[in-house]
Amino acid sequence: MPALAVLFAVTLAPTAFLIATSLTPLDLTKPQTIGDFSQPSRNFHLLLEDRRFLNSLWVQAKLSFWTVSLQLLIGLGFALLLNMRSSLLQALRTVFLIPMVLPPIVIAIIWKVIYTPDISPLYWAIQSLGWHMPALITHADWALTAIIIADTWEWFPFTMLMILAALQMMPEEHADAARVDGASPFQMLWFVTLPYLRGVLLVAGLFRLIDSIKAFPLIYILTDGGPGTLTEVTNYYGFVQAFNFGFLGYSSAITVVLVAFTVILSWLILRLVGWGRDVE
Amino acid sequence: MSSRAFAYRRAAERRFIYALVILLAAMIMLPFVWLVLMSFKTNDDIFAFPPKLLFVPTLDNYVGLWSSSFRYSFLNSAVVSVTSTLLALLVGVPGAYALSRMSIRQEKPLSLLILASRMAPPIAFTIPYFLAYRWMGLLDTKLGLILIYLTFNISLVVWLMRSFFDACPRSLEEAAWVDGASLWQGFVSIMLPISAPGVAATAILCFLYSWNDFFFALILTRNHAMTAPVAVVNFMNYEGWEWGKIAAGGAMVMLPVLVFSIVVRKFLIQGMTTGAVKG
Repeated sequence: MPALAVLFAVTLAPTAFLIATSLTPLDLTKPQTIGDFSQPSRNFHLLLEDRRFLNSLWVQAKLSFWTVSLQLLIGLGFALLLNMRSSLLQALRTVFLIPMVLPPIVIAIIWKVIYTPDISPLYWAIQSLGWHMPALITHADWALTAIIIADTWEWFPFTMLMILAALQMMPEEHADAARVDGASPFQMLWFVTLPYLRGVLLVAGLFRLIDSIKAFPLIYILTDGGPGTLTEVTNYYGFVQAFNFGFLGYSSAITVVLVAFTVILSWLILRLVGWGRDVE
Repeated sequence: MSSRAFAYRRAAERRFIYALVILLAAMIMLPFVWLVLMSFKTNDDIFAFPPKLLFVPTLDNYVGLWSSSFRYSFLNSAVVSVTSTLLALLVGVPGAYALSRMSIRQEKPLSLLILASRMAPPIAFTIPYFLAYRWMGLLDTKLGLILIYLTFNISLVVWLMRSFFDACPRSLEEAAWVDGASLWQGFVSIMLPISAPGVAATAILCFLYSWNDFFFALILTRNHAMTAPVAVVNFMNYEGWEWGKIAAGGAMVMLPVLVFSIVVRKFLIQGMTTGAVKG
């Protein structure tokens, strides 16, 4: 029971605090702004007109859409490939998990190396083929793509694992029945396997969607939100407002919007997979 | 199709899939291996064009790194991660047990609270903590970091251990109670030994979470309590582009993670997928 009390205290108190600060014009350089509730909705009105905020939502939408789709697609592909009884594949499965367990900061360093033309094996390979590639992370058209690629590399193992777990629980009879009926492998995939996986794909997608809202280390290290604000997602914009500019009140308002999204998505997940206890 | 031809085709298919998977595995591994190789190269070798695949490995980067202040950051990381993990277990395991054994009316809000607190963007916690710490003088202290990691690790412990206890039959501790054991004795001498593997796995997940964190440490520390991930990034920003040292720092940060991941591979997969979903 004390654990519960602690849990409530440490999760609800900061949230309440956050909502409170989002109603004030708190500015780190002006201490008198800390408890000023005279215009509680001011920050939220400002948000609606803040082009940089609206831009960050759009960047976020693009990033989330592409990373989630690519991770689901690649995760599905790998899971289908690895779903065989074989000790070799069993061993290799571990290899595919590496990107997911590495510290995010190490992932960011790895991709910084790859995207830095002077020292990158990728640029070397492309040059020796006689092609030319712009420096992706400083290029306006490519910076977001570069982040999407790195994020996909980091997190496709997650979707792969979840799909693989579902595949291994798939009842054999379905597949057998279809095979007897003379279904081609492609038909099998389309009419038997995919419908079976629909649930897990949805849940894995939702998990990745929530996580994509939190993307930080990759952006911080690879592009710093740039060039300009082309890779500045909402989370990053909130960080910049709070800890570069010192506008904690305004940043809290941005964050409240993000938290609202997260709670709704978490609620959706729980609706889908059940509420934790009485569910298989 | 005769059965032999069919078997032959199956074998060919299998070889094709093996080859494909090995190729893909190599592609996935390449970026990671490159970083490790880089950490053993001299600066000249790093910038060599074309890149040298065969080079004389050197430990200079590691030696240079360890003799700088990175050493303290590395120790900070270790102290903070271990302490917050132990405290989270101390509070969270009995809590999870209690939750598992009593019927709670507010089941749904509780699940939502736990999941949402794990899913919320870190900045949502950082702003309140930053303000509170500034006021309490906890900025840039190890205690401050331990507390914020504790927040997250307790909910992880409760989330994972509750499903573990749910799976343990009640009859065991009921038998102990009949024999005159107290509630607490039943928990300590019956349930804890049974769930030891689960506790160990949960502990490692907590440790990895604290160890891997970048965002909180970036904002809540400056230099005294700076952790290894932040220190590595500072190498990038302030000390010019010493790629060798950056790579060596990255390799040192990921070393414990890799070791633990291999040790608890199976639990890790459960903890990250079914544990995360099912609870």
